[in-house]
Amino acid sequence: MAQMGKTKRFGLCSAAKQPSSTVSGSEEKIIIPKMKTWNAEAVLQALASTVNRDTTASNYVFQDDSYLTPRTSREFKLYYLSQESGRNAAKYFINTFPRYFQKDFAEPHIPCLMPETLELQIDEVSERALTECIQLRKVKAAVDMFDQLMQMGSPVSLDLTNDLLDLICLYGDQEPAQDVPPEQRTNDMGEKHDEIKIKKGRPQRASDFLKIVWGENNNAERIFNMMPEPNSCSYGALIRGMVKHGSIPKAFIMYNDMLNNQLTADVHTFNALISAAPYLKEKYSEKWDLIIDLLKQMAYQKVKPNVLTFNAVLKALQRCGALGRVQAFPVLNEMKALGIAPSLASYDHFLGIFYKAASQAQEHKEIIQEVLNEVSGKSFAAHDPDDVNFFMNTMKICLDTKDMEQAYKLHSLLDIGENWKLLGDSFHQSVYYGRFFNLLCMMEHVDVVLKWYRELSPSLFYPNSQRMRDLFQALDMDNRLDIIPQIWKDIKRMGHDNNTELVEEMLSLMARDKHKPEVQQSFAECALDVKTLYKQTDYGRVQLNWSASSLSSITLILLAAGRIQQAWEILMLFKVTNRVPSEYLLKQFLDCIQMNNNSEQAVALVQISASFCLPLTSHLIKRVQQEFELNEEQKNTLSQL
Amino acid sequence: FCFALSPLSKIKCNVNIIYTLNKRTAFSGGLSKIKGVEKQVAALPERSSQGPRRPRREAGEPRTERMSVDQDWTAVYPTAKSFKQNAVPLPVRMGYPVKRGVPPEKKGNLELIKIPNFLHLTPVSIKKHCEALKPFCTEWPNALDSDAKCEEHFPMQVQSKDFVSAGPSLRNPKARIITLTVKLSSLNLDDHARKKMIKLSGERYNKESDTLTITTESCPLRQQNYDYALYLLTVLYHESWKTEEWEKEKTRADMEEYVWEDSPSQKNILETLLRMHAVEKCEEDGGVQKELLGRPEVEEYKDSVTKLKNEGENECNIQQYKDAVKKLLNI
Repeated sequence: MAQMGKTKRFGLCSAAKQPSSTVSGSEEKIIIPKMKTWNAEAVLQALASTVNRDTTASNYVFQDDSYLTPRTSREFKLYYLSQESGRNAAKYFINTFPRYFQKDFAEPHIPCLMPETLELQIDEVSERALTECIQLRKVKAAVDMFDQLMQMGSPVSLDLTNDLLDLICLYGDQEPAQDVPPEQRTNDMGEKHDEIKIKKGRPQRASDFLKIVWGENNNAERIFNMMPEPNSCSYGALIRGMVKHGSIPKAFIMYNDMLNNQLTADVHTFNALISAAPYLKEKYSEKWDLIIDLLKQMAYQKVKPNVLTFNAVLKALQRCGALGRVQAFPVLNEMKALGIAPSLASYDHFLGIFYKAASQAQEHKEIIQEVLNEVSGKSFAAHDPDDVNFFMNTMKICLDTKDMEQAYKLHSLLDIGENWKLLGDSFHQSVYYGRFFNLLCMMEHVDVVLKWYRELSPSLFYPNSQRMRDLFQALDMDNRLDIIPQIWKDIKRMGHDNNTELVEEMLSLMARDKHKPEVQQSFAECALDVKTLYKQTDYGRVQLNWSASSLSSITLILLAAGRIQQAWEILMLFKVTNRVPSEYLLKQFLDCIQMNNNSEQAVALVQISASFCLPLTSHLIKRVQQEFELNEEQKNTLSQL
Repeated sequence: FCFALSPLSKIKCNVNIIYTLNKRTAFSGGLSKIKGVEKQVAALPERSSQGPRRPRREAGEPRTERMSVDQDWTAVYPTAKSFKQNAVPLPVRMGYPVKRGVPPEKKGNLELIKIPNFLHLTPVSIKKHCEALKPFCTEWPNALDSDAKCEEHFPMQVQSKDFVSAGPSLRNPKARIITLTVKLSSLNLDDHARKKMIKLSGERYNKESDTLTITTESCPLRQQNYDYALYLLTVLYHESWKTEEWEKEKTRADMEEYVWEDSPSQKNILETLLRMHAVEKCEEDGGVQKELLGRPEVEEYKDSVTKLKNEGENECNIQQYKDAVKKLLNI
């Protein structure tokens, strides 16, 4: 615990001072400026603004130790989740045994650290108990309590019934998912759950497994039908619940009922209906007509739209094909005319209308420029759950259009204000940075690429093997292959060294060209390091299998560095692993042997070539006979082949 | 196992119990051993009871390897943190040297972690902090351009401390202490008031710098302590101007400085002079005394004795005393 004391000095006028003292000749008036005031965190914020990001450190939640920081994305996720689970376990204990955690150390009081009551306190059957059930989000208990009250004959007030309907519709007549661990979910809950296919590459989430479907005859509808006089809130709750859980035709039927009863829906209900509209109709024009109809009704009923309304419209336009492209600009202008500031989700849906597929990207280049010009310099706050997709999707558009300038503009948007919070969770971040790095490798000079590489990884994201191959290509293009051994260290650290294609590509890059001697030596060291991976030593590792290309690459690298003995060992491996060496390799080998003038090895080489029955053998025999001095035995051996 | 048994069967059962206990400890010992090894193992959840032992997870290279020479150090250590050996690219060594060797290196060195470090307060970072804090400051008044002027216009100074620390509570009990310093020369005191004030303040008065320091910490809040300190100063001031009845009974032992009148030294000198001059005993002792005391040598003697007693002995004073005595006694 570090302590910092700060001594403050300020002076005060002395009351007993004689005015007739003549210590100072000048009669200047001493103007004491008015003291400035600031809020409690202003000083800390000012000091925090001097601090930048540390580019070699991992995420701040982890222990900063070389043993304990995560090195791969898998480890990152594991450690992060284990911290979360520890926190949850602690929260569980505090809430289950609140009597041991009553002492309050924090000054000023921090309410979220004190135990929460999660269990129902009130036992009797009454409206108060029902209110408590609703507050604690206990869906089943609330419904039971409501039924008991109705049976007892005491009517429940309209507001309370509306609250109950809100609760049921929010959770789709199930308990809130995190309260019920998967093992305890009973069968009748299981019937209502559909498992949707998990998209490849995405981390699995609980919401993917359990897509709740609006069941027939569920409690919400039953309670609604029991109500003598449902008001617009009740209708609203039901409509929104139906839209959320996928029962869209019913939602529109309910809406028509509502209109027939001369009730006006509120803005949230309209938002739900607009977002559901494209799923109701098939043809583009019908979809758009329905949306326009809803908007007109909204205006007629004097319901003010908000940013979510327009976001829903733009999202619906994504499914309207060419019509969407026509209507997108007018919608955005209407939004601004009404004075509603677009959120990042609006821009995301807007861009999604024009840049549906990568092939369309070339046609609308200027749109993304316009959008980025508009958002640059602004700080956004989270208004819509879809805001977090903006960065990820926009970077994909930049990648498809191969536009580096827009990508930089987009990236600089992250530095402004609170925009970094809208980058999303670790999945979104990894996708965003992966795409950014991909674009950099394709478009920029290798120095810039390396600069960004050092800045982004491993502190912000862990490149996957595809990104490393992009990096190799970038190095190849600008002739900086000498850095490959350093990159190999990173690859090992990140756990991509079990990826055969990546390793083989790296080896072939190293083996391809001639380089300076010290570079060749470093390549040789790297190659020997790679060779150790192919042996089965480590338990639990995926073992790499030798292939012809990897064997020949390593041999060539070792030959280029002049390590003939080690190259010879690798050559022996060809036979063991049933791979055939290439002609080029054998020729290179012979050249190397010739430099050392070792006729033993030359003959042995020819024997190897013969054992593989290569057509090169005769050529090699001739060469050896010409260029080497052979003794009788060797000549005999050669003539036999 | 059941404990309430007849003695015979108890003995037998004891043996059994011991046996099972041993077995259990053996089993649990073995289990903890496996668990101990598992702790060193990689973080993957699969267990391997058969097959080759999973290799121990290697520590990665420290991130100092990846740090560039011109990196932004204020980003690595923005606030006070303990020493992290993989984040500080310096080859420091600390501790008692290993036998015939050098102090241990920084890896795993607890000594380096225990001590406070100032890695977060490099000159660059202090400059940055100062720049960031400038908007919070107001201008210094131009008229106060020397220390003397500050003393003259603002003779009283109040100090308080604020504390920042990481912990569950924001409050620090040391933050309520107020220290008030004022020079007595800037207060309007006459001789008696000054002496009385010094006596009343006791230890709080510093003679060399002539400052009175009042430290208050008895109240729970800083504002209360500040008010109390001002109150104390006011009370001291007014009390020292008042003269109480009993102050007339001030004896020689209460005097702060040596006063020559009515002192044994004066009496001695008078006697000596009287004897020297063999003045006839006349009734007007008062007049002879006054006349004797009025002489310049006696004045000089009085000065030198007063100086000696008040300022202590040093070369100058003793020399002066010697001269005065010589003159007086006509040596």
